[in-house]
Amino acid sequence: MFRCCLLATLLCFIHRGNSEEADCFPSEWLKSVSMSVKISKAGFHRDLHYRVQWSKTEQEVHALLVQKLPSGVYMDEYQLETLRRDTGLEVLLDSKVDVEAPEYLSSGFTALVFLSGRREAVVPVHGRYHRPSDSSKRVKVELESPRLLLRSEQCERGVAVDAPCTASNHSICSWTEILELEDHAGVSLELPVGDSSMIISVCGVTVLTTILCCVYLLRNIWKHGSF
Amino acid sequence: MDAWLCVMFSVTLLIRLALLCFGVYQDQNLRWVHCGKLLFLGSDLLSALLLFRLLVLHCSARSLASVHCSMWLFNPLTMAVSTCGNAESLLAVLIYPVTYALPVALSLVGAPSRGRGLIQNLVWCFSRDLFLEQCSSASPFTACEYGWDFLQESSLFHLTHRDIHHNFSPYFSMLYVTAEHHWSVVLVLVCFLLQLLLLLLSSLAFCCSIHTAVFVRFNKVCTSQMPFSRSYFLWYLCLLTLVLSRLTLSLRRGLGLLLWFVGQELWLSHAYYLEFEGCNSFALIWIAGLLFLLINSLILGQIISHYRPAEAQLKKTD
Repeated sequence: MFRCCLLATLLCFIHRGNSEEADCFPSEWLKSVSMSVKISKAGFHRDLHYRVQWSKTEQEVHALLVQKLPSGVYMDEYQLETLRRDTGLEVLLDSKVDVEAPEYLSSGFTALVFLSGRREAVVPVHGRYHRPSDSSKRVKVELESPRLLLRSEQCERGVAVDAPCTASNHSICSWTEILELEDHAGVSLELPVGDSSMIISVCGVTVLTTILCCVYLLRNIWKHGSF
Repeated sequence: MDAWLCVMFSVTLLIRLALLCFGVYQDQNLRWVHCGKLLFLGSDLLSALLLFRLLVLHCSARSLASVHCSMWLFNPLTMAVSTCGNAESLLAVLIYPVTYALPVALSLVGAPSRGRGLIQNLVWCFSRDLFLEQCSSASPFTACEYGWDFLQESSLFHLTHRDIHHNFSPYFSMLYVTAEHHWSVVLVLVCFLLQLLLLLLSSLAFCCSIHTAVFVRFNKVCTSQMPFSRSYFLWYLCLLTLVLSRLTLSLRRGLGLLLWFVGQELWLSHAYYLEFEGCNSFALIWIAGLLFLLINSLILGQIISHYRPAEAQLKKTD
């Protein structure tokens, strides 16, 4: 809980970088940096595929993706913890996530995806139940493109952004935000929603059927039970 | 132990271990089998062994007892639940829901009597004797010791818990479409009262199994083998196996079982397309849920009308 609060506070200070980018990242090399985000699978359980690429460099480069997620989706912290232990995937959430709450009772959150030592990650994301609708059968959830931050062990100058060094969130490091990425639209997913125009018939038929079953069982218990 | 019993347990152990290894193979992110799953697998087998011992104690022939146990052991649902990492089989071995306080209390202070009439029996269930019996049980002392958290997690959770995600409960669709309406609390109360009414009326082993089946089937939430939720089915499947030997049904028993699987598979297929393919099958899940309730009620009704207590069966064989 304390770590979430600390991270949430820090995220308030993650601001867009100014024009003074780090000298340790040559501008020519920065042009080679690219990022792609894809979403796979169908239904309520999707995978976000992140890939960051850059040309060869002698520096050890760490990448951090700051992904803002709307209230229509969530990430399961327990699943992320299992993945972290089993596969080394490092994802940090800025707040506690209620996995059962519907979309209209939830708020958006931010996920920090650390790509230290690797350039791609697959992060599971799940859709929330949305409010039933009488006009459409599906709802579209848009995920904006993540912000890309880079850091090098060999260089501490030209600070633009402060963020946790790793998913353990024990210390803060200085990162450089890459602003001049190729225009990349975010991804989106469509989720089915219930039909609110059927509310009366659903309630009526459900209660009626349940009463019918109840009466049948009561009759049998009364007739055949040992009293 | 019989040779057949050894074979049965060995085969089901091998099937479960194979499922665990398949899970590791399929999810290439895992590198080992979690110890918790081995514990649940063990308690799964232990509950089958306890079932067998109880059935033999209640005068079932060993061969018949092993057939009934195999219905628990070879049930794909119980296999999937314990190998997925769900702890419901531990409940079967160690702990059971607090709702058993009611049948235990009723059997201790005296059962309802047919002579009183239905309404008077329901009123009697809230009598002074029953209240005093509950006060002298462990519940109030445990509540004082552990406070609100104990009460919430052991008793009140099932009264207030509402999960609008698709599940086997017949009330799922109703609770989902009315979630934001302030009058939905009335519907929740109706659900609870219907459940309570059935629970108040019903010998102890038979009562617990019917009691559990009613509690689960008429509950506001009834989830299955998901890793992070309860598998309500196992709560009554285990105990129903215990009473199967006392049923006078014959071919009907097999048909009822088939009907149950048909109802379950119908619901599961629509739920699969909703959750994993993104199809809008909410209406079909609603209909399948109600159909599953009707099938379960029919089967329960048949079990209630064809159950013969042990003493009646003994008299018949004399």
